[in-house]
Amino acid sequence: MKFQCYIQSSCAISPQHTFQQDIFSEALQTTDTNMLQAWQPSYAGLIPPNSLRRMSKALKMGLAAASQCLAEGGIANPGAIITGTGKGSLQDMEKFIKDIQTYHETALNPTQFIQSTFNAVNGLIALQQQNTQYNNTFVHRGLSFESALLDALLQLSAGKHHVLLGGFDEVTPDQFQIKSHSGWWKQEKIHSAALLQHLSPGTIAGEGAVFFLLANQPGDHPAASIEGMKLLHKPSSHKLDTALQQFLDEHALQPGHIDLLMSGRNGDSNYQHFYDQVAQALPGIPEVSFKPLCGEYDTAHAFGLWLAAQMIKAGKAPQQWFPAGTVFPKAYRTVLLYNQYYGEQHAFILLKKAL
Amino acid sequence: MGERVFITGVGMITAIGDDVQQNLEHLLTARSGLGVTDYVDTIHRNILPVAEVKHSDVELAAMAGLPDNKGYSRTTLLGLVAIQEALRNAGIADPQEVPTGLVNATTVGGMVETERHYFTLTDPAREGEMMPVADLLDCGDCSQRIADTVHIDEFVTTISTACSSSANALMLGARMIKQGLLSRAVCGGTEALTRFTINGFNSLKNTDRQPCRPFDQQRNGLNLGEGAAYLVLESESLVQQRGATVLAELTGYANTNEAFHATSPSPEGDGALAAMGEAIEMGGLTPQDVQYINVHGTATLTNDASEGKALQRLFGKAVPPFSSTKPFTGHTLAAAGAVEAIFAVLAIREQVIFPNLNFSEKMEELDIIPQTTLRHAPIQHVLSNSFGFGGNNASLVISKF
Repeated sequence: MKFQCYIQSSCAISPQHTFQQDIFSEALQTTDTNMLQAWQPSYAGLIPPNSLRRMSKALKMGLAAASQCLAEGGIANPGAIITGTGKGSLQDMEKFIKDIQTYHETALNPTQFIQSTFNAVNGLIALQQQNTQYNNTFVHRGLSFESALLDALLQLSAGKHHVLLGGFDEVTPDQFQIKSHSGWWKQEKIHSAALLQHLSPGTIAGEGAVFFLLANQPGDHPAASIEGMKLLHKPSSHKLDTALQQFLDEHALQPGHIDLLMSGRNGDSNYQHFYDQVAQALPGIPEVSFKPLCGEYDTAHAFGLWLAAQMIKAGKAPQQWFPAGTVFPKAYRTVLLYNQYYGEQHAFILLKKAL
Repeated sequence: MGERVFITGVGMITAIGDDVQQNLEHLLTARSGLGVTDYVDTIHRNILPVAEVKHSDVELAAMAGLPDNKGYSRTTLLGLVAIQEALRNAGIADPQEVPTGLVNATTVGGMVETERHYFTLTDPAREGEMMPVADLLDCGDCSQRIADTVHIDEFVTTISTACSSSANALMLGARMIKQGLLSRAVCGGTEALTRFTINGFNSLKNTDRQPCRPFDQQRNGLNLGEGAAYLVLESESLVQQRGATVLAELTGYANTNEAFHATSPSPEGDGALAAMGEAIEMGGLTPQDVQYINVHGTATLTNDASEGKALQRLFGKAVPPFSSTKPFTGHTLAAAGAVEAIFAVLAIREQVIFPNLNFSEKMEELDIIPQTTLRHAPIQHVLSNSFGFGGNNASLVISKF
């Protein structure tokens, strides 16, 4: 199915200096802790001080990125507010679990319980914008953001003029610990800039909040257009190949029409073969990965999409963020994004320069 | 716009029954599922009534046809029991024969397991040790395991909009069918009782120590419940092609946000009014066409006042019979929208209005009272409300076919 979907404005809070900064001159931010944490902007002026004090990182990042995105897009009241988050406001959930234990189920403060609700960010955005329209939150691990994008595409196609779409997740020490029990992180500590060179089991953690204002008309200055998306669940190698080919066919694309493959490659030897397979199906197409910049998290693909849109809009890449020797394309007209989440959830997104 | 969307299968498990028929029998004979928890370790056990499914995880696994419950949270097990009934009821042996999606809903995923193991999982001394329970908290876990077990792989997602979650799951499934992305979607939600949610609502001073009393002057809060419910939605053309039996039609739905407060509805019910009004309008109906409203009716002070005002504003002097079925099932949070959508289907099939239990005194700020006894009446269209935290309001219109 084809969609009309134009990115009008966007905003990212990420481990890189992406919030209201010139990404083409900002230095690369790195870590050697295996946990890339988001660079926190000043929230003054974006979130009232009283609320700010009580908010977790996820709520702050989400609300601020959403507000800034709407302000830049010049649309206070979109026809829908749709987000994806794999983990929601983890800090609140963790605190409430611990308080239940510490205070033996008595005298609990409900604030953490309320804020741990996965739709809390959506509710805050609606409240702040006094937006009474369609509002939905998806919580489906590595396809949380993509599910929200699908809903946004359906809403635009059904006649909504503007949709605010977001993806956000935070990382916490507890969560890092918990996911270590699933073998998600590298045993050895590595330098995040060299993530792709350290092929071994596991990857590094990350976080961020990314919002897009989408429209069903190009408007004056669209950054890019989202042409389509294909989601897959536990595909076989054969099914992955077939799905990519079908996706390209649906959009009348030969592999050679693609300027750049923006991949979620993350140095995890357990699932590297998926990325290799997609790269092999697109011979000669330059590939860059966004994971050394944002780390691995449920809604990391939103950051990849944001970065690709920035590159299409500017016609260039923030080359200082990528390893020396990276091959960049000559033009940024058509970018194919591919991300997979621990082998189970896979997504292709096709992004084009809006004409 | 788009194809008509039909309900062709229903399945559920709640405190009032392991399947749809048992639920119906309890509704018809006014038997509540409220009681004391056997499975949640909480100091509130003998104080706060809950509507619990009286089966252990091992029993639920057996009911779901699994060899044991290892690797499955209670949330997933409840979901599996319900979805298998829904697929059987729709006469679907192999969901992959046509493109079928699963749109699931949950508010806290596998919290029921996580809260039992949290301090082991976060013990730094055990970093890196493999523990399968680490995967269960993610809300997507239950959806994915349910999808894998019943072999749905075309599209799977999970929605979490607090108490309106599964109503939104039904809407997304219907929209995907109308817009041509799927011809069939299984939609609903699953929710297990947890110490986390019991203490959450209790900390909000939102829980009644007595069986809840929706729309009563003396109401004093909700009782939590657990359960799962799924409805099979199919496009009109698929229904015709395979000769499926239609149980009812999903004719209208609306999702609005109240933009009023993080947890409280607006006093005049603006969000409820908008959701109900838009859902009725989408169905090409007027308020007079509705014969029964299954209200959200949590029995909290604010919900019932706000929802009641909205009913009076929308229907004027002619508010149709309405009832909250939460005194039967408790408030099953993410599952509530789908549980009550099935009750709407049953109201149409049986041509009955279910009673609102525990009512004795009219609310002074309202002119209306709920239906308190089982009543037989011609039912063509049922309105079903689900309103949640974050101002997330949803209404569905389910119609006789």
